[in-house]
This record gives sequence, structure tokens and C-alpha cells, in this order.
Amino acid sequence: MPPVAQEGNCLIYRGSNFLKQRLVLSCLSGKPVKITQIRSEDEQAPGLREYEISLIRLLDKLTNGTKIELNPAGTSVMFSPGLLHGGQLQHDCCVQRGIGYYLDVLIALGPFCKMPLQCNLRGVTNSKDSPSVDHIKGAALSLLKRFILVDEGLELRVVRRGVAPLGGGEIFFGCPVRKSLRAIQFQQQGMVKRIRGTVYACKVSPAMANRTVEVAKGCMLKFLPDVYIYTDQNRGKMSGNSPGFGICLVAETTDGVCFATDCISNTQEEAQTPSIPEDLGKEVAMRLLDEIYRGGCCDSSYQWLAALFMALGQKHVSKFLTGALSTYTVHFLQHLRDFFSVTFKLENPEAEDDEDDERGAQKVLMTCVGIGYTNISKRVI
Amino acid sequence: MADDVGQDKRKQHRARQSGVKADKKKLKTKKDANQKEPELTARQRNPKAFAINSAQRAERNFRRKEDLTAKKQHIPVVDQTPDEPPPVLIAVVGPPKVGKTTLINNLIKSFTRTNVTEIRGPITIVTSKKRRITLLECNNDINSMIDVAKCADLVLLLCDASYGFEMEIFEFLNICQVHGMPKIMGVLTHLDMIKNTKQLRKRKKELKHRFWTEVYDGAKLFYLSGLLHGEYLRNEIKNLGRFISVMKFRPLQWRGAHSYLLVDRMEDVTNTDTVRRNPKCDREVVLYGYVRGVPLKQEHMVHIAGLGDARIDELSVIPDPCPLPGTEKKRSLLEKERLLYAPMSGVGGIVYDKDAVYIELQGSHSHKEKTAEATEQEALVSKLIDKKSTMDEQIEQQEFRLFSDAAPIKSKDFKSDDEASGSDDEAEADDSGLDAASSDEEDEFAAKDWRGESSDEEQDAEQDSEDASSGDEEYQSLTDMKGGDEESDESDDEESRILASNMSWKTNLAQKAQDAFLQRHSESRNLMRIVYGVYNQSERNKQEADEQGGDSDEELGGLFRVASKQQTELQKDKDIRDKEERCGFEYQGDATRDWLSDENKLLIKNCFVTGKWKASEDAENLLKLDDMSDNDSEVYGDFEDLETGAQHSGKPKNDDDAEKEVAPESADASLGKRRMTRVEEENLTKTELMAKKMKLKAKFDAEYDNSGEKGEEEGRITGDHGFYDDLKAEAQKQSELNKSEFAHLDNELRIQIEGYRAGLYVRLGFNNLPAEFVDNFDASYPVLVGALNMTEENVGYVNCKVKKHRWYKKILKTGDPLIVSMGWRRFQTVAIYAKVEDNFRQRYLKYTPNHVTCSMTFWGPITPQNTGFLALQTVRQDQEEMKRLGFRIAATGCVTELDKSSQIMKKLKLVGHPFKIYKNTAFVKDMFNSSLEVAKFEGAKIKTVSGIRGQIKKAHHTPEGSYRATFEDKILLSDIVFCRTWFTVDVPRFYAPVTTLLLPPAEKSQWQGMKTLGQLKRERAIKNEAQPDSMYTEITRKPKIFRPLVIPKALQRALPYKDKPKLGPENPRTALERVAVINSPYEQKVSKMMKMIETNYKDKRFRQRKETQQRMKKFKATKRAEEASKMKRQKELRKKVSRAISKVRNKNNN
Repeated sequence: MPPVAQEGNCLIYRGSNFLKQRLVLSCLSGKPVKITQIRSEDEQAPGLREYEISLIRLLDKLTNGTKIELNPAGTSVMFSPGLLHGGQLQHDCCVQRGIGYYLDVLIALGPFCKMPLQCNLRGVTNSKDSPSVDHIKGAALSLLKRFILVDEGLELRVVRRGVAPLGGGEIFFGCPVRKSLRAIQFQQQGMVKRIRGTVYACKVSPAMANRTVEVAKGCMLKFLPDVYIYTDQNRGKMSGNSPGFGICLVAETTDGVCFATDCISNTQEEAQTPSIPEDLGKEVAMRLLDEIYRGGCCDSSYQWLAALFMALGQKHVSKFLTGALSTYTVHFLQHLRDFFSVTFKLENPEAEDDEDDERGAQKVLMTCVGIGYTNISKRVI
Repeated sequence: MADDVGQDKRKQHRARQSGVKADKKKLKTKKDANQKEPELTARQRNPKAFAINSAQRAERNFRRKEDLTAKKQHIPVVDQTPDEPPPVLIAVVGPPKVGKTTLINNLIKSFTRTNVTEIRGPITIVTSKKRRITLLECNNDINSMIDVAKCADLVLLLCDASYGFEMEIFEFLNICQVHGMPKIMGVLTHLDMIKNTKQLRKRKKELKHRFWTEVYDGAKLFYLSGLLHGEYLRNEIKNLGRFISVMKFRPLQWRGAHSYLLVDRMEDVTNTDTVRRNPKCDREVVLYGYVRGVPLKQEHMVHIAGLGDARIDELSVIPDPCPLPGTEKKRSLLEKERLLYAPMSGVGGIVYDKDAVYIELQGSHSHKEKTAEATEQEALVSKLIDKKSTMDEQIEQQEFRLFSDAAPIKSKDFKSDDEASGSDDEAEADDSGLDAASSDEEDEFAAKDWRGESSDEEQDAEQDSEDASSGDEEYQSLTDMKGGDEESDESDDEESRILASNMSWKTNLAQKAQDAFLQRHSESRNLMRIVYGVYNQSERNKQEADEQGGDSDEELGGLFRVASKQQTELQKDKDIRDKEERCGFEYQGDATRDWLSDENKLLIKNCFVTGKWKASEDAENLLKLDDMSDNDSEVYGDFEDLETGAQHSGKPKNDDDAEKEVAPESADASLGKRRMTRVEEENLTKTELMAKKMKLKAKFDAEYDNSGEKGEEEGRITGDHGFYDDLKAEAQKQSELNKSEFAHLDNELRIQIEGYRAGLYVRLGFNNLPAEFVDNFDASYPVLVGALNMTEENVGYVNCKVKKHRWYKKILKTGDPLIVSMGWRRFQTVAIYAKVEDNFRQRYLKYTPNHVTCSMTFWGPITPQNTGFLALQTVRQDQEEMKRLGFRIAATGCVTELDKSSQIMKKLKLVGHPFKIYKNTAFVKDMFNSSLEVAKFEGAKIKTVSGIRGQIKKAHHTPEGSYRATFEDKILLSDIVFCRTWFTVDVPRFYAPVTTLLLPPAEKSQWQGMKTLGQLKRERAIKNEAQPDSMYTEITRKPKIFRPLVIPKALQRALPYKDKPKLGPENPRTALERVAVINSPYEQKVSKMMKMIETNYKDKRFRQRKETQQRMKKFKATKRAEEASKMKRQKELRKKVSRAISKVRNKNNN
């Protein structure tokens, strides 16, 4: 989805998909972006959804000097970004999407703020449509850590859990600021050495959690003895507003790469049959194995983050090994080219001499030259 | 780079063969030869002399040494110079009449043996096999000086020795310091004006030391002793040339982060007709130059110094007009390789052939051929003039361009006319198709191609033929192999699956689809295409041509195909356009494999630590190696031989591996391959394992042993610099990676990924440049094109640390316009000064303080922090102004923060007066104008002059703007109430680039932007009325009259009688006569009695007192008499004693 047109600095896009990508890149590049024809075909509900408005609000809070113009129908939005400010933030996320949707933005923008980010987000901590908070904690933070080197001040804490549809959960995210990111060459994914996980049950019987653990662990033990799954049983205020349970598994390799997957039970509103814990446990295990099969040096949901930080790195060659690119990443790479004019070289890594065992699926080696992005918001004394 | 110049081999020291020293040495060698162990060091011979006597001193020595080494260390910077660097930019700077042009002429002559009559604009010459230089003369305009300081690699700072350093030189040095110091070499000229040798020597020394204090101690200062036939001495010029060609440069921060180019050729390619119709229309301009700094990207904005920001509309590489000679081995340059490229200096028309560049020199040899060409040219020109009579200056340029072009001009089509004549390069022929075609068409194609990820499927068939022809780029060629692969790979897997049969891939519900997706998104052959579409220029052109051809040739079929393709793309676009945004990997249904089944398990078994490890990491393997090395120590003894031997034997083995790997891969099974390689692993021979082991051992030794051994040898304890060494090694590694990573890619793809790297000669096309730029073009003003990084094209509030220059005679006033040179830009803005207080509040300052830094905020381009800048109040070349000011640089500083809002505060004291007071509550007016204002200040602290503190409570209705306040005590109506607050000062949003390049040549140095208020007032003779408050007037103070003290009754009652206000008259004498009191007879009797008693008593007391006084008198008299007699006696006694003593003394003395 290339930009439809470009007016001076401003990029013009069509459609609501990839709104988040575009806004994040716009904030970083300082280029205004205009998105038109948002769900204009949809007769019932044209225009921006509530969760997207909430995202724009969050960005407004995070930045200083941002100008947002919406047309009355909400089918077109003009976003001219200010400078990233950060600091202490409170945001009530829309319950239509999980907190993960919003947290992604903060992870991508956090290192480039003026002040260290300390943000409280309230809403749905675990949902199906976006990576859960546990997933992000497992996969995205380890990736972020690799780029910012020192992780002092980097924190993601689940204050309270709340599952869809009503949410009621809260998380705290703290992120330090950096002047620039270094170019990295990360081509060794290592071997999976341990599997950790979290099972949570809110307003449902604790037995659900235990049953899930049993199956998930059973599957994983066939591959690795080091499996440990924590149970997070919540009740009362700490369990949010709706019932549900779910599981998140994180696999860590010898080189510190983390793969994560999560699964959550069906909600009451959905017409589907209620989830059976055993099925859930099996599904999450299969998905984790799938993820391990795809491999690479980052979780497949956060290939885009790796690509972003590579592109923003210093003006040197960065290399990063990933599994097969997800559709989202493909579009993200296109957007990176639009905003930063960074083109990645994508190729299959050469087989090493002493590498004789196929480890999972074919990998992709992303190579690029960073644009030498520096944090222009931070104050120097 | 010392070996750049072939002859520059240092002469070896030749030891004396005869004489005393030689004899001594001979004796010594003889002695040494007799000794048994001749190679003993002093330490070994006499270890005691080197023993540590004092721990403290050893510690101090060690610390000193470490301090010295630490001082020398710099943070390692990744070296970014490309393999073929751009010419070194040498700027010749100095005040007028110091001999800049002569120096350039002489340098050119000494390098290329050519005379250049007129020096305008940069001149590039090849000086040695590996080095080119660009010479640039800087005129005496501060704008040019700034631009030159920003781009020069080496500055030759010329100075008239007979006159001494002039202000321009100091100004230029200051500019350099601010914008990242380039290498500076001083050159003293006019030395022959000083006749006296002693004087000359003194002068040289004086100037040298002055120069050193400005640059650094030991900076090179070159002497050109005088002129001979209007030229400098050849030897001196040659030496200078040598210095230049071996000079090394250190990377500068700003230039290490930005790309830039110095324009050495400019052309106007606007349609002549539009220019004829509107001479002031925006022009299409093409600029040429070598890319410097970091790689340049087309999408980035650029800033043309002295003009403003611009977007590059077209960027392409063209063959180097002044290439380095080939790589054949020879000592020096051939005559024909001593190239000179100076398109602006009238050195000649440049003619581009397909594969060569001819430069016409205005030497004697070119005159002969001129006749034939000239007639042709004249004919063409006259033809042109006939056709379009109103073209004015364009004609000249065209004439110039047409100089040796054989192709005749078609006057029908102005556009193509321009292309053929104007852009003068057939070398670009491959690009010209693109140029000619309208750009939106091209865009459309680009857009189309990367839109669909599945479009490749459809394109397959079409592109097969193309790809066969252009099969060289592996990324491009989307072979039909892919489809086949997919089928064969998956077929065996899929058969077992139930889902497989009825699923097409678009519905994407099956395992097959998932796998196909995985493969599509991980195979390198089409991955780039999936992501970026048709990214290659030539490929795109071809396709475009194909498409066009198809349109015309196959009438209906072709059209039909195009339409359907577009439709599917549109559909595809629509499909994803409004989907929900999800960052995860998509799962469709239960598409995951059943990983618990055995054949699937095999696929990922090795992803776990429980699986098979790599040979180099496997603990078992390593242990085995260890055992082996322990067993036969002889292998350990001389491992070097073994290692090399093993390496040699290992290589072919690996090659075999590779072949084996390739073969099965192309066939099909990945499983088979794995088995093969595992067999290999077990077959690892003993020697191979040994080799690996030794490699590891060597690595370990390198890390831990060497430093220790060396230290021991030296006999000193050395510090651990491992961290620094690691950093350095890392930077080195990164630099190598940067160079090698894309070296093997084809040039177009490389440029896509990397950008136009430094050293390439590029052509920059701009569409909308003002006509004045072309009309008023003056080659003696450098045109610097600097690329802007991300967000640098935006504007915002820039907060800087600034210090008024100590040589600048005035102080700077807040709100006065200031010309700032920062980054690539020069612009005028309005600055507000402030002082950062301890709590980081920025407090407004009206003037810059002297000798200390202060904070400055202005509205300007966003520039990264720590970028240096300098400020000027004017850039006009005004002699009087210069004389008055002496030094034009007003302030220097660096950027500290960027923001979209400013926080400069000014102290504000609001004053109010109470109008009603109830105990501790008071109503205050005059402080605010409306209740809304009051509402904003509710709860604010207030204070009276007498120091009673209080708080604003709430607005009061009348008068408007009054409010209720409470105080800690009752205040007086005469009190004044203050509210101390801070007031945000707005920074004016004024930002105007200095557009010197647009001015006509005569006014180029007279740019005048916004004037200061003072200037305007002086010009128009406006004098402000002085504020009456600010006038000095006589102070007359009225005596204060206090109101009488009123003590409340209740208080009076409580007071003791003594303090009670007496009700009687204040002055009894003036009091009224009292009323006569008539007593009753009894009372009279009593009072009479009482009076009598009183009188009696008084009389008695009077008498008693008198008696006492007399008694006291008598007593005192007797006392006094006694005392007197006593004193008398004592006196006599003392007299006697003294007399006796003096007698004795006299006696003794005598």
C-alpha cells in the first residue's frame, strides 16, 4: 500500500489498515500524514473506530505540538506530529482492542522521548486481537533491550488484569530515553533452552488454569525438560470486569532470543462455544512450536520493531535474522521506505560451514543501513 | 597515505663509517660478539636496578602513565571514507589582495601544467594516483566564508605577512571552530616586502605564535617568500603541493552525519518557451557535484545555502568527469591522466561521449579547430535567434552548451530540444527514456508493482521471457521454479491432510497455504519483489516499455490484460485497505501443524538445546577435542604447522560440503540433506577437530596471555586497556562491514539500499528554483547543497547555550533580529535570551550578560542537539559598520534542546489595593480586570508591603476584577497587596533564510533582512517619549501626621492604673478652673485636723532631713581630714625611701 500521493512533506494514504504504523512512523520522521477513505465503503460505521481515536489521543498525550484534523464523518484524518515528549502519562484505552495495541506504540516511541516514559494504561490487558501484555513483556521487551543496551528504567508491570470485553485491567510501562540506537548484527538465534509461561484466570474457577497448564506443559515437555508455567489467579478487584482465562508461553534461547505466544478463552459475547482449557493449552503449545519453527532472532509479531530500530540505527550496516516475514512486516517495510527511504536487503542467510542441521524453517536475513536517527527531543546540558 | 606520492620514501639513516663514534661502535660490537649471550637486555643483566624500591613511587609512576594514555584516547569513530573518496576540498581563504588567485593558479600549474586564466568556482584536478583535489577560492564575503568553512576539508589561510593578520582571518577561524574545525594551514605571503632579514625572522615568529594560539600549538604555517615573474617560487609551491597531497583528515561530527556537495556546474534546463513568456517563472535547474559526507538519498530534502530548502526531483549518477587513473602499476601519473575539471572557470566546454569525457582547454592547440566549429555554432545560433527573437540570456548559455555538439537542434519541440542540447550527456542515454516520460506515469507503475504481494504469481508468465534475458540479477528474476518448488515441496506433506483438497490459496485456510506463505515470505528470490515491487530502475523501464509496446501492438488482448491486472490489484488493495491492524503472524483456523507427530517433530527437534548442537558448540565434541590434545602432546608442541596444514586440507572438504548441499537442495528433500550433513559431522577427521581446537586455543592465548607476557618483558606493570581496545576493534569491524556488505551488489541496487555514496559524481535536478538564482548566478560564490536528515526540514523552538563573543563590542538585546548560521543554514530569526535558574526555570533576560553563557531561544529549523552555531547582527559588507564593530561575529554557542513550545518566564508583580477590610479578610481591587482572571488565580499567594501574607479566595462582583482575600492578620486600608507570578514570554515565530544567492551580483554582499528597532529609529529619527515613571524628579516628602491613639474601652478597663489613659487635662496649667467644693462642717473639721497633722508631719520630716544632712557633712569633713593626714605621712615616707635609694644608686654609680 504505497502512498497515494505526496504533497510537499505530507504523505497521503488510503484506508484504515496500518493506521498505527503510519502514525508511529510519522511521529518519528516528523512528516505529516493524511489518511483518507477510512472505511468509506462501510455503510454502517464509516470512519475511524473508537479504538483508533483512542490511539490518536494517546499520541497526542505523548507528543507536544501535534495537530490532528478529522473530517466530520471521520473518514479522513490529517496528522502532523510534534516532538515526542513522554514523561508521566495516564491513558484509558478503548476496550475494543487490547492494551497491547497501544503498548506497541509506546515501545516504538519510548526511547526517543524527551523525558523517560512512565505510563499507566488502563483497559483490556489480554485479548485476541493484539498481543497480550505478557506476550509483549516476553518478546518485545527483550528485543528492545538489545537495542538500547542498558535496561535501567525499562519496566512493564501488570498492575491488574482485565480481559475482554469489559477490561478493567491496568499496566505500568516505564521506558528510558536514548540519544541514538546502535547498529547491531544479530544473526544467531541459538537454541531454545527454557520455556516459561503464565496462566491467568479472572473471575473463573482456578481449576481452569491448572487444566490449561497441565496440557501445555505436557506438550512442551516432549521437547524440553525446563518448562515452568506460573499461575496467576485473580479475584475481586484485581480480576477486572469480565471473566476469562488464558495462557502465554515464552521460549528463551541460548542467545537470549524470546519467542512468545498467547491464547485466550472465548468471551461470552462471542457466539462460539466456551473454550475448553485443554484445547487452549494444546493450541498455545502448538503455536509456540510453530513460532519456534519459524525461528529468527525475534518473535514474529515484533519483526516490525526490529526493522524499525535497525532503520533508525546509526549510519552503519545492521543485520538481523528473522523467520519468514509476516504480512504486517512486509507492509511495515514498505512504510519504512516511504517515511525514511530505507530499503532493506532481504536474503536467505548463507549456510554456515559447520552448520549441518536444519533448524526450523527458512530464515530471512534483513540488512540495511540505518538513517542515523538521533533523539532530537532530549535535552543536553 | 604517505605512499600516495610515489617518490615520498623517507631517506634511511646512514651510520657513520669513520670518526670517533664509528670507532666506539666498532669496539662495542666486537665486545658484544665476544659475549656469550649478546641479546640480554639491561633488565636481564641487572635486575636489581629495575626492582621496585618504593611501592608508592611505583604506584605514582603507574598512575601517571595511565593518565597520559587515557588522555590520548578518543572514542573510536567508525571510519566512513569510501573506497573511492571524493576529491579533497581545499579552500583558499584570506582577505583581498593577499594572493589567493595566484596561489591557486600556481598550484594548478604545478599539478597539471596548465594555465587557467580565470578562476571562478571550484576546480577539480587529479594530483596523484589515489587523490584528487578540488580547489575553491573564497571571496571576501562573510556568507561565502561561512559556507566554505562548512564544506572545506582543508583550508589554506592566506595572510599578508607585511600587514599581519586581519580581522577576516580571525573571523574565519572562529567560523571554523563553530562548524567543526577543518584542517587549517596558514600560508604567509608578501614576505619579500620585509627587506630586513632580522625583521623578517621576527615577524615570522610573531605571526606563527599568534597563529598557534588561534589554531593549536604546532599548526603548520607555510611561507611563500615572494614572487618571481608574477608567480610564487616553484619549489615552494611544489612543497605546498606535497603537503597537501599527504594530508590526513579526521572525521567531523556534522559532516559525518550529513551528506553534502559543492556544486561545480549549474545548468538551467527550463523550457525556453516558458522562460520567454515569463522571464520570472520558476526554473528547472540541474546541479552537479561530488557527493561528500555520508550517502545521499533522493527522498531527503536538501538545503541550498543562500537559497533555501528544496526537494530533489531527480537524482542520478553520471560518469566521473575527473576520474582517478586506472589501477595499473606505475610510479606517477601520465600526462593525459592529469585531468582538470572546471566547468565554471571558462576552462572550456565539456563534451561527453559515450565512454569518455573530453575537456576543452583554452590552450593554443584548440584555436585551429575552432574555425570549423565556430561557423557551425554560429549558424545554429543564428537559426535559433531567427526563430525566437525574444530569448535574452538563455541564448548565451545555449551557445555555450552547444559548443561542440554535433547533433542539430529540432526547433519544433522545445522540450526535446533542451534534452538534446542541454543535458549534453549521452552517457545518460539509458536514463533519458525515464526523463522524457512523464514522471507520474512512472510513479503509477511503481505503485502498481509493489501493491500486490500476489501479483508476482500473475506476472510470472509474462516475466519469464524478460527474466531469461536479464537473468543476471537474482533478486529480480522471479523464475517459474518457485511455483514448481511449492508444488513439489508441499505435495507429500499435504496428501495426508484432509483440508488440502478443497482449498485454493486465496482462502488461506489450509496448512498448505500457511506453508506456501512461509516460503513465499522467506525465499530470497522473490522476497525483495514482494516487499518493494519492481525496485530496479532498468527493470522498471523495460516493463514500462513492454507495457506500452503491448498496448500498441496487441490491440485488444493487450488492453484486456492490462485492465484485468489493474482490477485485481485494485481489488487486492481494497481487501487489505480497511482490515483490522494486527501485528501478529496470521493464523487461519487451526492451521498449525500437529507438532507432536513424529515427522513434524523432526523438523524442529534441533531448535532445542536437547537437539543436535553445532560442532563448534557441542560440549561432547569439545571434550573429545580436549582429550585428544591431552593425549598427544606433540601435536600441541608445534601447532602452527598443523593448523596451516589442516586449513589447507579443510578447505576442499568444505567445498565438497557446499556442493553436496547445493545438489540435494535443488533436487528436493531437506531431510535428505540433513542426514547427509550429519554423517559428515561424524566423519570429522581427527586433524580437523584438532585444527578447531587449536584455533580456539590460539584465540584464548590472544585474549589472555599476550598482554601479560609483553608486560613482563618490558618490566613494567601495564594497565588493562581491554575495554578501549574492544571498542576500537568493534568500530573497525563495523567499518569493514559497511564497506564490504554491499560491494558485490550491482550498482543500482546498492544505491537503492545505501544511497548515493560519497565520491559519486551526481546530477541533481530541481524543478522549482527561483529565476533569480539562475539570472544572478555568480560562480565566485560557492553553492553548497547540504542534505537534511529526518525532521531537520521542520521548524520549532530551538533552545541554545550562547555566549556573546568577547571581541564583539556591543551586547545583544532580546527581541532584536539575529542572523544565525547553524547546520547548513544561514537564517535570520528573533532571539529571546534567558537565564536557566537552579530549578531549571528559564528567566527572561533583556540583554546578554558579558563573559558568561546564557540560554537563547528562537524559532528556527530543528537541528540536532550539540550542533554549533554562530550569530551575526549583519552580513552586509559595510566598511563603516565594519570599522565601528571591528569583529562581526556577535555570539557563538550550541543547541541544547528542541521543542514545540517555549518556557521563558518573566517575573510579574500584580498590585492591588484593599477597599474593605473585615478582620483578616479583605476585599482587594485593581489587581485584575475581570472575574475570569481572578478565577485563574484562586488560591494564589499574596502579600502586603508590610509583610502580611495571604491568599486569593474568590472573585467579588463589584468592582469587576476585585476579589476576596484572607490574610494572616488584619491589613490596613493603606496597605498595598502584591501577587508575585511568572509570565510566559512568547518567542516570535520569525524565521527567514538568508538568500544571498538570489541577489544580483553587485548586491550579493548587501543582504539586509529585518532591521532592529534601534536601527529603524535611528534611520527615521524617531525618539520615544520617556515614561513619566522613569523620569528623575525631586522627591518631596510631607511630614506624616499620625492620628491620635485610641485605646478601646475594654482594654482601658483591663489596664493597670498606671497605663490607663488619664482623663485629666493633658496640660494642667491650661486646664479649666475646678468647681468650688463646699464641705460640711464635720468634713471641714476633719480636713482641718488632717491638714494640721500633715503640716506637723511635714515640718518634722523637714527638720529631721536637715539634721541628717548636717551630720553627714560633719562626718565627711572628719573623714577627709583623716585621709589627708594619712596621705601626708605616706608621702613623706615615700620621699625618704626614694632619697635613700637614689643615694645608694649614686654611690654605686660613683
